Amino acid sequence: MASIQLNSVSRIYGQGASAVHAVKGIDLQIEDGEFMIFLGPSGCGKSTTLRMIAGLEPVSQGDLLIDGQRVNDVDPAERDLAIVFQNYALYPHMSVRQNMAFGLKLRGTPGPEIESRIAGVAETLGIRPLLDRKPSQLSGGQRQRVALGRALVREPRAFLLDEPLSNLDAKLRSVMRTELIKLHRKLGTTMIHVTHDQVEAMTMGTRICIMRGGEIVQVGKPQDVYRDPADTFVAGFLATPPMNLIPARIEAAGEGLAVIAPGLSVPVPEAYRAAYAPYTGREVILGIRPEDLFETPEGAAPAAIDCSIETVEALGPETILNVKLGQGGSELAARLPAEGDWEVARQIRLFADSLRMHLFDPETTRKIAR
Amino acid sequence: MKVARLDGLVRHLILAGFSASIALPLLWVLRVSLTDKLTAYRLPPEIGQIGLHNFVEVLTQYDFTRWFGNSVFVAVLATAISLPAAAMMAYATARYRTGGWPLMMMVLSSQMIPPIVLVLPMFLVFTTLMPVPGIIAITIAHVAINLPFMAWIMISFFDEDTRSLEEAARCDGATRWQAFTRVTIPVAMPGIIAAGLLGFILSWNEFLYALILGNHSSQTLAVGLASLETHAGVNIAPLAAATLLALAPVLILLPFLQKYLIKGLSLGALK
Repeated sequence: MASIQLNSVSRIYGQGASAVHAVKGIDLQIEDGEFMIFLGPSGCGKSTTLRMIAGLEPVSQGDLLIDGQRVNDVDPAERDLAIVFQNYALYPHMSVRQNMAFGLKLRGTPGPEIESRIAGVAETLGIRPLLDRKPSQLSGGQRQRVALGRALVREPRAFLLDEPLSNLDAKLRSVMRTELIKLHRKLGTTMIHVTHDQVEAMTMGTRICIMRGGEIVQVGKPQDVYRDPADTFVAGFLATPPMNLIPARIEAAGEGLAVIAPGLSVPVPEAYRAAYAPYTGREVILGIRPEDLFETPEGAAPAAIDCSIETVEALGPETILNVKLGQGGSELAARLPAEGDWEVARQIRLFADSLRMHLFDPETTRKIAR
Repeated sequence: MKVARLDGLVRHLILAGFSASIALPLLWVLRVSLTDKLTAYRLPPEIGQIGLHNFVEVLTQYDFTRWFGNSVFVAVLATAISLPAAAMMAYATARYRTGGWPLMMMVLSSQMIPPIVLVLPMFLVFTTLMPVPGIIAITIAHVAINLPFMAWIMISFFDEDTRSLEEAARCDGATRWQAFTRVTIPVAMPGIIAAGLLGFILSWNEFLYALILGNHSSQTLAVGLASLETHAGVNIAPLAAATLLALAPVLILLPFLQKYLIKGLSLGALK
C-alpha cells in the first residue's frame, strides 16, 4: 500500500519554442488506500500523469514521491506498482498462467508460492478455466480479467488503471465497474483509475481529480465535485446531460436581486444575496442542473420558467426534455419523471429551485463563491 | 450465376498465366537438367532421354560441393551476424528514434544505390585490410548489404503494440534488456525469422561481391554456376542441374518457414 504525492510535477515534450507542456506543474496528494480517479477529456494529461507515476514517462520538473520517497529517477521495475493498460498488453506468446507468473518469477518468488497466488487470484476473478489458454483465445472481457489478475497476483503497493474498461461493451463495463469497486474494498490497496467516462468517475472513486489542458481543475469527493463544481468546465463535463449554462445578468429587483436572461428571471435567494451583490449589473453564467428543474414548484425558492419543448428523450425510468426559453432564450435540458405526457412544441412551465442554482464569472469561468 | 462462373474462370486464367510465367522457366531448367546438351536446344522442345547424368557430372567433375559449402558458410554466417544486429538497430530506431531521419535515409539509400557503385570502394578497402580478400571479405560485404535491409524490414515489427507490452513487462519488474529479450523479441519472432530468411536468400543469391571479392577457393554457388559459361560455350545441361541443386536449400527451407514469412511480413501491418 502506498501514498503518492505529486509536487509541481510537469511533463514537457520537446524543447524551446516547440516544447509541449502535457502536464503543467500539478500538485496532488493521493492517500494510502484511496481510489483516485483521473478524469478529463482526451489530451488533458491524465494518462501522462499516470505514466509518470508508473515510471514510464520521465518527470520533466517537480517531485514525485511514493510513501514519502522521491522516485523521479527510480526504474518502473523498482516502484512495485502494477498497471493495467487500455489494450490489456497481455504477452501474446505466454499462456494466462505464464502471464500472471511473469512478474513474480522476475522477483524471484518461489514456484509453489507463485502457483498458490495464481490459484487464489484466478479463483477470485473466475479465470481458473482459462489459465492454460493464450490471450488470443480469450474474449475482451476475459482478457480484461486476466490483465487485472496479472496485476493482482503481484500484490503491488498500488494499482494504476489506464482506461481498462473502455474497450468493453456497456454491460460488461458495468459488471467490471462493480467488481473493481468490490476489489478495492476487499484489498484496500491504493488505486488510480484514469478514465474519460463520468459514470466510472462518479461511481468508482473515493475522490475525483478533474484535469484539463495539463492542469488539475478540481479534486474532491464525487458528490462534492458534482454539487459544487469549481468552474464551468467541471459543471459542463460531469453528468449527462451536463449542467445547463446560460449567459445572464444580475439585476436589482425590488429589494433583492434577480438573475435575468432572455425568457428567464430567477430571484436570488436571501442566503446568496450578499455573495452575489458585487456582481449586480454584471454579466454572469447561470448554472442549473437538469434535475433541479421541476414540473411543480419545489424547494424554498422556486422560480417559474416558461419554455417550449424541443425534443423528448424517454429513457425509461426518466425523461430528458430539451426545452427552449421564450424570447429567443437558451436551450435547457430538464430531467423529469417518466410519467409526464410530453409533446414536442408544447408550451410548458417548469420550476427551478433557485437555492440550487450556481453562478460563474464569465471572465474567469470560476464559480462565484457564496 | 453464369456471370459469377465466368468471373471465376477469368480470375483463374489470369492466375494461371502468372503461375506459368513463374513456373515455366523452372520447368524448362528441370527438363534441361535431365536431358543432354543437344536435346536441350531443340525446338520445339523435346524431352529426349531422361537421366541424372548431369547431376552426377556436376557433383563429380566440378567444384560444386566446395561452392555449395562456401555459399552455406557465407549465407549462414552473414545472416547470423546481421540478424541480431539488425534487430537491435531496428528496435533502437523504432523505439528511440535513434539517428532520426538521417539514419533512416542512410539505411534506405543503401538499398537504392546500385551494388556496382560500392564494389570498387569495397574492393579497395578489403585489399588494404587483407592481402587476398576471400570468403571472410565476402561475408563482411554480405553483412553490410544485409544489415540495413533486415533492419528496414524489422522496424515496423517494433511498433506501438510491442511498446505497451514492453511497458507492461517493465512495470512487472523487468529491466529494459529483460523486457526486450523476454517479451519484445519473442513477440516479433515471426518477423525476425522472415527477415532472416530474406537476408539468407539475398546472401545465397548474391553474385557481384562474391565475384569481385572472392578468389578461386572462395567461389560461392552464384559465381561457380557462372563459371560454367565458358568461352567455349555454355555448358547448359550441367548448368541446369547445378542451378536446381543451388535452389534446393531455399526450396527445402521455404515450406517450413512459409508460415513465419507470411506471419512476419504482415506483422505490424495487421492488428
